[in-house]
Amino acid sequence: MKKFLNAINTNNFENVIAISAILFLFNLIFPYHTSGILFLINEVLVFIVFLLLYKNLSSKLQNKSSVPLTLILNSGILAAILFFILSLTNSSYSLNTDGTISFNFFNSLLSVVVIFIFIGSIVFIFTTFKVLSFIRQKKDFTTYYDTMLFFIALSFLSNMLLFFDPTLDFPRDSFFIVSILLISINSVRVAWIAFLNKKQKKYLLILSVVLVVIYSITFSLLMDSNVVKKIIYTFSPGMHTLFSLVMIYGAIYFVVIFFTTLFHLPTAEVFDKKAQQVSSLMDITKLMTQVFDFKELADTITEMTTEICNSDSAWLVTKEKDKIILNSVYKIGFVDADKISNTLLEFNNIDEIFIHNNTGNKNSISYFEQNYNSVAIAPLKVYDKIYGYLFTARIKENSFEEDEIKSVETFANYAAVALENAMLIKQSIEKERLEKELDVARDIQRKILPLKTPSLKNLEISSLFVPAFEVGGDYYDFFELGNNKLGFVIADVSGKGISAAFIMAEVEGIFESLSKMIHSPKEILIKVNEILFKNLERKNFVTAIYGVIDTATKKVTFSRAGHTPLLHFSNNQISQLKPKGIGLGLDISEKFSNSLEEMEFYLDNDDILMCYSDGITEAKNANYEDFGYQRLEEIIKNFSEKNTDLIANEIMKEISLFTKDKSQHDDITLIIFKWKNN
Amino acid sequence: MANFNVNLRNKESVSVIDVKGYLDAHTAPELENVFNKLIDEKQYKVVVNFDDLKYISSAGLGVFMAYIETMRENNGDIKFSNMKENVYNIFDLLGFPLLYEFFKNEEDAIKKFLES
Repeated sequence: MKKFLNAINTNNFENVIAISAILFLFNLIFPYHTSGILFLINEVLVFIVFLLLYKNLSSKLQNKSSVPLTLILNSGILAAILFFILSLTNSSYSLNTDGTISFNFFNSLLSVVVIFIFIGSIVFIFTTFKVLSFIRQKKDFTTYYDTMLFFIALSFLSNMLLFFDPTLDFPRDSFFIVSILLISINSVRVAWIAFLNKKQKKYLLILSVVLVVIYSITFSLLMDSNVVKKIIYTFSPGMHTLFSLVMIYGAIYFVVIFFTTLFHLPTAEVFDKKAQQVSSLMDITKLMTQVFDFKELADTITEMTTEICNSDSAWLVTKEKDKIILNSVYKIGFVDADKISNTLLEFNNIDEIFIHNNTGNKNSISYFEQNYNSVAIAPLKVYDKIYGYLFTARIKENSFEEDEIKSVETFANYAAVALENAMLIKQSIEKERLEKELDVARDIQRKILPLKTPSLKNLEISSLFVPAFEVGGDYYDFFELGNNKLGFVIADVSGKGISAAFIMAEVEGIFESLSKMIHSPKEILIKVNEILFKNLERKNFVTAIYGVIDTATKKVTFSRAGHTPLLHFSNNQISQLKPKGIGLGLDISEKFSNSLEEMEFYLDNDDILMCYSDGITEAKNANYEDFGYQRLEEIIKNFSEKNTDLIANEIMKEISLFTKDKSQHDDITLIIFKWKNN
Repeated sequence: MANFNVNLRNKESVSVIDVKGYLDAHTAPELENVFNKLIDEKQYKVVVNFDDLKYISSAGLGVFMAYIETMRENNGDIKFSNMKENVYNIFDLLGFPLLYEFFKNEEDAIKKFLES
């Protein structure tokens, strides 16, 4: 038999139809199975139809295992139809018969059709039971089930013996009884009931009562009514046995379902709540990986909190610098939530879940008494650091139950991690954006600064520029003005980052164009001030030195607009040259032009000139001490005989030694000139 | 980062801002907040007491530049007092003494406001 089953594709519905068609025709041609061969062929055909249909349906219905109630309803409807047809045949045939049933063509056709409806329904109902039994079963009990199937099949087939000897009914009856026993054993597989919600359970309870009645009455019809028995029996005794067994199965199974549901009903609500909590926790785990917006996350968390512990309101606060900041509220006003959280947090040091019940004593918050009877406060903890609290409040008289408190606590722990994630992501995005911005700023600065210093006869020039991480906005440049004249500029834009870089680019453009038109340092700075004052925001300004060195006459002319002094080393003496001048962009009035001085002096052999930005003198060590002028002067004095490159390197080396691990705070810029009389 | 603290108090009709610690690009917004508050309250006569200020950067100086116009347009001013020498040097280098009034102590600055 097994081989035969495997040989044909059991899942193929066409086989079912083919065999059914053969059975159908067979019964039309031979309405009476009087001869042994006909009877046996018919019986075997019916059995195969049952078997194939069962195999076919069970694979189809398996997909429906998630909706047990629909399955039950469908099978119930089929059972009701069976019952209806049976009772109809019972009454109609009994009127027209005189003991035997005569088959004319029409009658036999009708009978066969009815029989087929029976077969289909029986198999469907039986398969439904199978699918239901297997839902949510943790242990494998296929052996029990297969044994049951085997005995049902034996009960079916043992009917064939009756044909040869009507007294041989004991094997059938014993198989029948064993089958019923096995059915009872298999009927206790009703684990799925626990997972229905309360409403579904109530529905199932009513449904099971109705179905127990239907199956029982159908069974009794099958057993008692001569007409029904005769029709089915005449067609196939095995089918009658199977039909009865399935009805018994149905009756037993639904009795079990009825009682199981009945016992589950009182706990249904608790179970529903637990299921809801589990799904809320699952939702938040999902949210954690999908939602990175802090506010959105906080809103969802407060809403879910009321669901998991049956409370009326919920809100979430974060702790920032000992201040309590309300992030999200659900079913409570901002002002109320703020007031309650501040009061409760002020009086209680909360580092694990805390329940405040309104005890009605004078010390409890009067405000609180009017509205909420119980408030649960769960700290939002990550790595033992509390960064906020989740509040949930209840108007109802009864306080929070132990399991509800546990739920809020668990939920708060999940929520804390989710919120922490969101914050970290926000921070890293912000940081990334800032770094991108600084990259742009550094790029602007790099492009603006001169690639190399000009090489001139008699004048050695070195420059040094070390940008700070945040971009300080230092700028320097040289302009070859013709007639042996070299213009130079050093400037420092106030502020940092991208805005400083943009101003710097503007300053560069202005000096670049003005240096070609105006040769007087004073005039240039006055003009630059005019332009910058118009374009700059009031809080921004630029300090600068602009100077011209005439290599023919050795004359240096320069003006200073708020910048650090120009250092002049001559005859072992250093002088800080600090002609008067206000920073650029600070004032438009005549104050700027009137106060601005122009200074001039002549260079001697081995004279050193140095311009620098305050990044050098204000370079700080770990104790916040300045590098200062003094150290700078020392280096110049000590290394005055060396070339300018070496002096520049020495200065940078000293600064590094001084600041050590302290990060560079501002741009460092240095220009050194050294005059050589041939 | 280094600390910075700012405190606001009133003396007669003049607001006195005490600045303490390191005033740079990172801490400047705190001082800006105080000035914004003063402008909201239409309080335009301001003395900044530098007694406890250790360091000021260009961004810190920018804060005073940003508000001086508003104060002066409303018959007020920002006056500086109690400045340490190293801090004064920074102001001096930039030419601030031409733009602002500096006083040895707070009382003198307040007196100057009350006289005018």
